[in-house]
Amino acid sequence: MNTLRVIGWPSVGGRWSGATRRLVGVILALGLVFGARTAAAGVRVVATLPDLGAIAREVVGDAGTVTVLSFAAEDPHYVDPRPTLLVPLSRADLLIVNGMELEVGWLPPMLVNARNPAIQPGGPGYFDASTAVARLEVPKGPVARSEGDVHAQGNPHYAYEPRSGAAVAMTLAARLARLDPANAQGYVARATVLKSALLAFATSERARFDAIPAARRTVVSYHQSLTYLEHWLGLTRLATIEPLPGIPPSPKHVAAVLSLMKGSSAVVVQEEYRPRATSERLAQLTSCQLVIIPGGAREAERYLDRLRRTTDALHAAMVE
Amino acid sequence: MSVGCWRSSSAFVIALSLLSRVLAASEPPVTPAEPTPEELLALEKALAADAGEDQALPIPTGGDSPGAAAFLPEMAFILDVAGAWHSDEPGWTGGHDPSTVGFNFQSLELAVGAAADPYLRFDANFAFALFGVEIEEAYGTSLGIPAGFQIRAGQFLSRFGRANASHPHAWQFSAQPLAIGKFFGSEGNRGLGVELSWLAPAPWFLELVSSMQMPDGDCCMRSYGGSANGEIESIGDFVYLLGVKQFWDASVDTGVGFGLSGQFGPNPSGRETRSEIYGLDLLVRHRPRGNAERTALTFALEALFRTRQVPDDVVQDVGGFASLVWDIDPEWSIGARYEAVTGPLGDSAALDPLDPEWTSLRQRATVQGTYWPSHFSRIRLEMASDLAGFREAPVWSVVLGLELLVGAHGAHSL
Repeated sequence: MNTLRVIGWPSVGGRWSGATRRLVGVILALGLVFGARTAAAGVRVVATLPDLGAIAREVVGDAGTVTVLSFAAEDPHYVDPRPTLLVPLSRADLLIVNGMELEVGWLPPMLVNARNPAIQPGGPGYFDASTAVARLEVPKGPVARSEGDVHAQGNPHYAYEPRSGAAVAMTLAARLARLDPANAQGYVARATVLKSALLAFATSERARFDAIPAARRTVVSYHQSLTYLEHWLGLTRLATIEPLPGIPPSPKHVAAVLSLMKGSSAVVVQEEYRPRATSERLAQLTSCQLVIIPGGAREAERYLDRLRRTTDALHAAMVE
Repeated sequence: MSVGCWRSSSAFVIALSLLSRVLAASEPPVTPAEPTPEELLALEKALAADAGEDQALPIPTGGDSPGAAAFLPEMAFILDVAGAWHSDEPGWTGGHDPSTVGFNFQSLELAVGAAADPYLRFDANFAFALFGVEIEEAYGTSLGIPAGFQIRAGQFLSRFGRANASHPHAWQFSAQPLAIGKFFGSEGNRGLGVELSWLAPAPWFLELVSSMQMPDGDCCMRSYGGSANGEIESIGDFVYLLGVKQFWDASVDTGVGFGLSGQFGPNPSGRETRSEIYGLDLLVRHRPRGNAERTALTFALEALFRTRQVPDDVVQDVGGFASLVWDIDPEWSIGARYEAVTGPLGDSAALDPLDPEWTSLRQRATVQGTYWPSHFSRIRLEMASDLAGFREAPVWSVVLGLELLVGAHGAHSL
């Protein structure tokens, strides 16, 4: 009878083989080396989206590190859930999520697989930033997907608006102060400076846009993601290029948008991560401006600078 | 009760006891309450007084919480139906494959999940057929064990390779890979048991997985089967899995996953006969981050080697599949898959006791095009050619499938 070679399983082989012992030893040594290496000083903050990361960088300062899981050029609904994202998640002291189901397509399994009890929903290191802001477009009644990919808890794109950013910064500082009391004063002080700058910016930008004739303060957005921006700057939404949230534009709907745009001075606005062919064609056919706004703060960019890039581009298009 | 049965029962009780101690040892997370608006205001006033600041504009206050609705588990129904034509009896190996000429009810899956408490999460997948319900998975996952460890317990698909642990709605092709059906069973490799995994503290993603499961019969662990009488009589009668999973970011746009798996257990073909299956899996995914069309190119490969003791002989065979899928934009994707599964290798005179007719190489090539009307539905057209050395002619197939999802937004995994 031929014998079946069984390797690696102690109950069958009778005892651990030398190779298995060496493998276990190497793994344990790796654990000790990298475990020691990752025990860096300071609070470890992970943010799902670049804007939240930019706010966190300013609030955390030099008291810790901030890692962002996605890029500004990436649609926050559809971040690739690479297993490598589990590495910072597994070591995080605090996770900042946008919430309102914006990350629902990629984050929940990662939270479970990260094996980090602190950052589970409800845990001390789980911070849903949407709990700090005034939510807009919260559905009043039941929602159904026949209305598109609607968010049952309201429009989640609040990070486009500085007053929301200020509220997130202050609430984040309070949370960090509890996690890391030794640096509490620094967190609150830095958040307050940021808040003051953001609120001053909110006021001055609103005044700047109020000076534009109302007819020119009209936008056609690709996705229903500018709600907070419109609310802040007093803009009017003429239409969205998507017929319903998350539903790709159809020829019939685009034709209807084209009809609406003709004779208006609307500006077509979309984030850098959305398809551009339809927007470019609409702008071309109506001689309207197409404004590509940031999807979020760039790496190391300040949150206020990212907002200013957005409003400067919009303002320039509307006064032209 | 036999002595062996008593031993396995005792081992189970001891394991449960250890598990409960580990769970109890993990401290419940202390949740700091969100600061109230009053607290924030007091904080701000104090700071403003220090800085001589007079803040006129109010900060927006928090919105309403979802309240009681948040206690409902996440639930989603996923329906897969297909119309199919085959030039001959296809003999596909998956339980949800569209193998019938005409209309096929592939599955109606109900996925339910929620945190049971701060320590454990509950997940279950029920597959509804036209005449019954099947519990595909129902397990608890630990959330609070320190040092990167995690335990799953219940009925679950084993994490052998990548494809086995996925459900039909995550598949890029309508039919289960032939190798999985032949080596594991029509429902994939699953069973009641417990899994222990460890996320190593390495700079890249490195996870070690081990599990111990009941050999669940022809549907789910067909290469195994307990002792000669099909029952668990000793701890060696369970099916054990060891695996290592890794993933690296080769660049901002490209990720590479590589895994090795091995599964060991008894088979009922003779006295103390055993089976082993070894697997290798590779995933290369390129998705340019700045691409507005969300285009992505994904290459996946799995190769399996199986060796089984049968009375007076050893039967060995290999199988595998490789696929390339191009997600062109949010609405369209195309893909191709090649599969090959051998019959018994070498000079073995023994017939495969499970598939005696599978005497030589079988290859299947599939091409598909998929249209996504939205993120929650897809229509897929496939064409396949199945060439087996033990059949006279290739079997050609055309499948047009429809998938619909309602309920909670499912999350994707790589």
